[in-house]
Amino acid sequence: MDNQQQLPPPGPTGHGDEVEVRILTPHIAQPHFPTMQVTGYGLSLAITLIAFAMVAYHWIGLDTLVTVLVVMAFIQGALQLGIFMHLREAKGTLWHLPVLALALFIGIGIVGFSMWIMLFKSGVS
Amino acid sequence: MTMNPWILHLMKRLFPPQVLLPDIIGIDIGLTIAAIAAIVFLTKTKRWGWLWREWITTVDHKKIGIMYLLAALVMLFRGGVDALMIRTQLIAPHQHFMSAQQYDEVFTTHGTVMIFFMAMPMVFALFNAAVPLMIGARDVAFPRLNAISFWLFAFGAILLNISFSIGGSPDAGWMSYPPYSELMFDPGVGENYFLLSLQVAGIGTIATGINFLVTVLRLRAPGMTLTRMPIFAWSALITSSLILFAFPPLTVALGLTMLDRIFGASFFTLGHQGMPMMYANLFWIFGHPEVYILIMPPFGIFSEVVPTFSKKPLFGYEAMVASLLAISILSYGTWVHHFFEMGAGPGVNSFFGLSTMLIAIPTGVKMFNWIFTMWGGRIRITVPMLWQLAFVPTFVVGGATGVMLATVPADYQYHNSYFMIAHFHNVILGGTVFGLLSGLYYWWPKMFGWKLNHRQGVWACLLFVVGFWLTFMPQYFLGFQGMTRRMSSYPPGLGWTALNFWSTIGAYVMGVGFLIMVYNIIWSRIHPDWDTTGDPWDARTLEWSLPSPAPEYNFARIPQVHSRDEWWEMKQEGRTDEVKISEKTVHAIHMPRNTPMPVLLALAFFVGSIGMVFEWFWLAILGGLGVVAALAYGSFANYSEKEISRDTILQTEAQLGRLES
Ligand code: HEM
Ligand SMILES: [Cu+2]
Repeated sequence: MDNQQQLPPPGPTGHGDEVEVRILTPHIAQPHFPTMQVTGYGLSLAITLIAFAMVAYHWIGLDTLVTVLVVMAFIQGALQLGIFMHLREAKGTLWHLPVLALALFIGIGIVGFSMWIMLFKSGVS
Repeated sequence: MTMNPWILHLMKRLFPPQVLLPDIIGIDIGLTIAAIAAIVFLTKTKRWGWLWREWITTVDHKKIGIMYLLAALVMLFRGGVDALMIRTQLIAPHQHFMSAQQYDEVFTTHGTVMIFFMAMPMVFALFNAAVPLMIGARDVAFPRLNAISFWLFAFGAILLNISFSIGGSPDAGWMSYPPYSELMFDPGVGENYFLLSLQVAGIGTIATGINFLVTVLRLRAPGMTLTRMPIFAWSALITSSLILFAFPPLTVALGLTMLDRIFGASFFTLGHQGMPMMYANLFWIFGHPEVYILIMPPFGIFSEVVPTFSKKPLFGYEAMVASLLAISILSYGTWVHHFFEMGAGPGVNSFFGLSTMLIAIPTGVKMFNWIFTMWGGRIRITVPMLWQLAFVPTFVVGGATGVMLATVPADYQYHNSYFMIAHFHNVILGGTVFGLLSGLYYWWPKMFGWKLNHRQGVWACLLFVVGFWLTFMPQYFLGFQGMTRRMSSYPPGLGWTALNFWSTIGAYVMGVGFLIMVYNIIWSRIHPDWDTTGDPWDARTLEWSLPSPAPEYNFARIPQVHSRDEWWEMKQEGRTDEVKISEKTVHAIHMPRNTPMPVLLALAFFVGSIGMVFEWFWLAILGGLGVVAALAYGSFANYSEKEISRDTILQTEAQLGRLES
């Protein structure tokens, strides 16, 4: 138990003297084999390789390719957030929602805008 | 004697003709002598152990801040020498001080060093020095990660800086646009250095962003609500979130270019359906927020400096926070203004032109806030305040010319001319650098315990500012007269000669200003004016309630915050004894232990990067294994904290005169 990280008390400023005491203690309270993490790692590698292969070896036509890639990107993002970023594990999950919304907003904005910007008929590419 | 062909090949790769110029060899010899002298000095004075224990393995944010600051000043020198070389080449028509190739290398290094290895670390230096202290914390949220960030930056900087003497400098500009930066047009290892060094330093930067985001959100002293937080802490919070969103696109752009150059992919190549323009798009998705990453911290610094030296609370705190937030959101929607000429349709260009102009509004709001703070205040002209006063007009001019550039049809004329060069130097030098130097003079006593001499500081500032205007005003007119950026020489008879001459003189004046600043630092170190009060400026925020420099644990007792400008209120209400401790109130404090893991991790990255730069994949794999080993060591090592006992704290605080009587 001594190695377990103490979660700071909830609330925006609830930080007294107790937390910096445990400032660096890693969270190693998992007695069982981390099946989920290993599966998640394998899956995210697989998705990356499949995406790469689809583009490199022209498995499917361009129109469907873009759709499939976008879908795979979402799965990849969900994997990372859910398994490795501990999205469901921390206390106060509600706090994550505005931050996630902002990230989604900026992420989708960047991709959407980039597609809009690059739509012109370029003489170079 | 016949030479082994393998060694011959290696020597050719390490020392191609472009690094065998007499001046470069001269610098190599000078640096080698300096390095030997340093080693001899450290050995003679038996300082190696001290260096290792006190600095290299430290996780203390105050020391990491000092290391960032020294590194940034060294890089300012290096980038400044590059700048003087550029200006010397352009002092008169048809100069051949450097070859065109060397000129390209020098301006590329200048831009890259100044943005990534001078301005960014100086920002982090001040974050580390001030933010934990002003929010009442004992360290950043992740002290070991903080050390990792620093060492990744340091080894990234070393990587870029050795390129000119080993293998050859990058030469494709600080943004390294393809197709020129691709293997086909730019063989050699220079561009690889650029890609790898920014990648390594960039990992550290993202980690710093996460660190300060969490620090500001989670480690504030009790009672310090977000709306009681000093604006500099706000700017650290917002800068960190900008970093978090802006750096990944850069990572992607650099990574894909690396795949192109080293593994024969064709993301941005001319052939094989590559799309060079996608690089410009990705780069500026990063690049525009990056310029705001550089200007937000100075905004925060001025919001501390102006109230302190006007003896008034900041005018319009809420407006200040709101405009910081507005700028951070807007700065994500303007990046196309860096490539209006690429050929996107009028819809795209109008949208981004308008969004760019919108940014000028919240920026203007802040200007008025500072001016109204000074209005009717009792202003003391100290060196930090002097830099602020110099900043106001320069930044107004920079912002106004920015709006001119955002006018799309006009930008077809201005783009990549000296007009644009003058614009961004107005905002980056006149904004970011003036702000950082203001912060340097402001927090210096807190970092080191002694003040910088006032008179020398004034001279450094005045010369720098005069030199600044003399350098960049002519460049606006050069832009109007058609001089484009990155010309390595120009013919006479175009009306450019006199303007270029004065611009170069201005650059030399700035150089003298910088030298006086260095003299100022060294002189003040030798004749220290000790800050015994901890509050030399009669300032307002919590860091000034501590002794200078703060003890290892910062606060013997975490303060309870009741208002904005808490320390000022304490002084007004005669509550300053609250920071003192007694036998009864003191507790033992646990602090993280030093660890060699950060520096070893960064070293492994460095070794691996050298492997990638020269395409020695065995070395790259070795470096990669080193990274994994360092991470594994970091995960499994025992991180029991060290305890600072009550007695030690009582003793330390008693020496500082901070025991309740
Ligand atoms: C009122 C605010 C600002 C506006 C409207 C503005 C607008 C612009 C525009 C339209 C350009 C592109 C010009 C061209 O390439 O033709 C530009 C370039 C640039 N701006 Fe600004 N800007 C503003 C503030 C800033 C600030 C605060 C910084 C940095 C601290 C900055 C740094 C730069 C840099 C580095 C470049 C050129 C990069 C390069 O091509 O190498 N700007 N600006
Ligand atoms: Cu921009």
